[in-house]
Amino acid sequence: MKILLIEDNRETADYIFQGLQEKGHVASVSQDGREGLFRAASENWDMLIVDRLLPGMDGLSLVHTLRGGGVHTPVLFLTALGGIDDRVAGLNAGGDDYLVKPFAFAELIARVDALGRRPLQTAVETVLRVADLEMDLLARSVRRGGRTIELQPREFRLLEYLMRHAGQLVTRTMLLENVWDFHFDPRTNIVESHISRLRSKLNKNGIELIHTIRGSGYSIRAPA
Amino acid sequence: MRLPRLFRTTSFRLTLLYAGLFSLSVLFLFAAVYWSTVGLMSRQIDETVRNELIELQTAAPGGGLLELQQVVQEYAARSPSFFYLLQDADGHVLAGNLPALAPEPGLRKLSWRSEPPPVNLGNAAKGIRGYGMKVADGAYLFVGLSSNELRRMQTALDRSFLWSLAVTLVLALLGGAAMSLGPLRRVEAISRASRDIMGGDLGRRIALRGGGDEFDHLASSLNAMLNRIQVLMNGLQQVSSDVAHDLRTPLTLLRQRLELARRRGANVETLYAAFDHSIRDVDAILDTFGAILRITQIESGSRKAQFARVGLSELLEGLVDTYQPVAEEKRQRLSSAIAPDLSIEGDRELLTQLFANLIENAINHAPPGISIGVGLSQTARGLEAVVSDSGPGIPSAYHQKVFQRFYRLETSRTSPGNGLGLSLAAAVAELHEASISLSDNHPGLRIVVVFPAERVSQDTDAARGTSGAKSAVDYAAVRP
Repeated sequence: MKILLIEDNRETADYIFQGLQEKGHVASVSQDGREGLFRAASENWDMLIVDRLLPGMDGLSLVHTLRGGGVHTPVLFLTALGGIDDRVAGLNAGGDDYLVKPFAFAELIARVDALGRRPLQTAVETVLRVADLEMDLLARSVRRGGRTIELQPREFRLLEYLMRHAGQLVTRTMLLENVWDFHFDPRTNIVESHISRLRSKLNKNGIELIHTIRGSGYSIRAPA
Repeated sequence: MRLPRLFRTTSFRLTLLYAGLFSLSVLFLFAAVYWSTVGLMSRQIDETVRNELIELQTAAPGGGLLELQQVVQEYAARSPSFFYLLQDADGHVLAGNLPALAPEPGLRKLSWRSEPPPVNLGNAAKGIRGYGMKVADGAYLFVGLSSNELRRMQTALDRSFLWSLAVTLVLALLGGAAMSLGPLRRVEAISRASRDIMGGDLGRRIALRGGGDEFDHLASSLNAMLNRIQVLMNGLQQVSSDVAHDLRTPLTLLRQRLELARRRGANVETLYAAFDHSIRDVDAILDTFGAILRITQIESGSRKAQFARVGLSELLEGLVDTYQPVAEEKRQRLSSAIAPDLSIEGDRELLTQLFANLIENAINHAPPGISIGVGLSQTARGLEAVVSDSGPGIPSAYHQKVFQRFYRLETSRTSPGNGLGLSLAAAVAELHEASISLSDNHPGLRIVVVFPAERVSQDTDAARGTSGAKSAVDYAAVRP
């Protein structure tokens, strides 16, 4: 993907830039809000990673201006530690996702991949499939190998999120935010507990589909 | 040169203004008195003199100078209170008891103040007020009366005016000084106390007089403000020292670990392990930082602007669902007794964290085999949310302390957490004007959060269709 990173802190910018390149993305860095806005609007990008605090023009107004100008490139906001109002403000301004600094690199890549996939999913899907696992979004039912699996609403949402991002890394934080709407770090292993419960329900008649990516998160995919 | 402090006070300036106004009114009063006494008297004199003039002329019917001379002589001899003068065109006195005058017609005031009067005008006549007029053959006729009485009255009035003006001014100024000295002393006391406080005597307060006047009001407001500031300052000091203390330990450990790894050098795996461990340490420190910042932001109250209706029943049910598998893994029983369809005005995200913290607290601090209960009900006090467990509990002596930042019981030093969970819960409760309290669950711990009745969302009342009754039976009856 071709990604524009608008971040004024050189070290953070380098850290993200190198990581993105290692993952095969084409990244470009802009260290000033106004310049970033200009480049974001005048070139074609697959994604923008925007810091909230920027010289020249802050990240919020930058994205607000972009959206006002009809630019719908996915935007991932980077916000400072502890800012509890930042997320809502960021999403209101037109951001698609947000990430609190400092973050693990795997987290950033997972977010970038998830966001990058978004446009492909604009077409309304009613059935999600991974190997022999099938989720009918209209009937709210899950079948594996022809057998119906009973899931509780929360488990359904968890599986749905994993399946919508099939083949991608889904981090613990992404699950907490999107399945539980938890925007803080819980002190218990909620995600692990629910995943293990979901696994035991799914695996009664089949092999493991939900893979644990150690230290990062989970990924649902067909066995190779 | 600076004026003495007394003369620079507002009340003294007001006093001066009033003194000025008083003097002005004294002036007007005297003007009126003057006009109605001295003025009246002069007018009477003028009237009498004019009548006398007319009478003289009427008494000399021919109008000739000789006749007039005769009449004047007659009158002068007859009425000694009047002064007459008739002189011819050359200024020779023809008749009367006055010396020659410059022949000016109209009202005249004659006086011989500087030198003794050239004629014997009697002991009283130091001044004469009268009328002069031209008569036949260029002669000049003057009739006057003694103005001594008038003059005496004038002098007396002038003197009493000056005296009363002086007394008025003195009284106004003295009164003003007295009036401004009292408040000035109070103000001085307040500013002295302020200076002492600024000088470091932070416990000092402004003394009240107890009369309940404006200065007492001001002083008690200032004292309340000082108390609040002191509470905030103590909090800040507490936080700073807590932060310093609680972050120094992990940072020291981190430094030791890195140094050890560097010194041993060992193989790549050991280094990687040290890195991983260090990253986890840093994450924990950052986590603590984040929690402190979050608490601070919550305490600032800015989130209140975003309050909306939050379905508390549904939120708690969701949390019970969420934590069910976690508790099960620890072989704990998580049960709920949540009255449906209760909501409050609040911040969903923060309320979620508040109750998640309480439930996690129970899960993390209670041993396997115990049961944890989550409840919500409407009581006379408001909406009462309860998280209880049958674990070891906390001795009641610590029931308040656990809300302090970084406070951790010795027994929980080893369990996960940064000692900020309950502080954050307390901050969120405070933001929602809810009370949070710990009590003994016999056995175990019972944490109750009460959202006062006023905070309870309007929609709840509307949905229940009842206005006054707030018993536990009500919502059960109305639920669909």
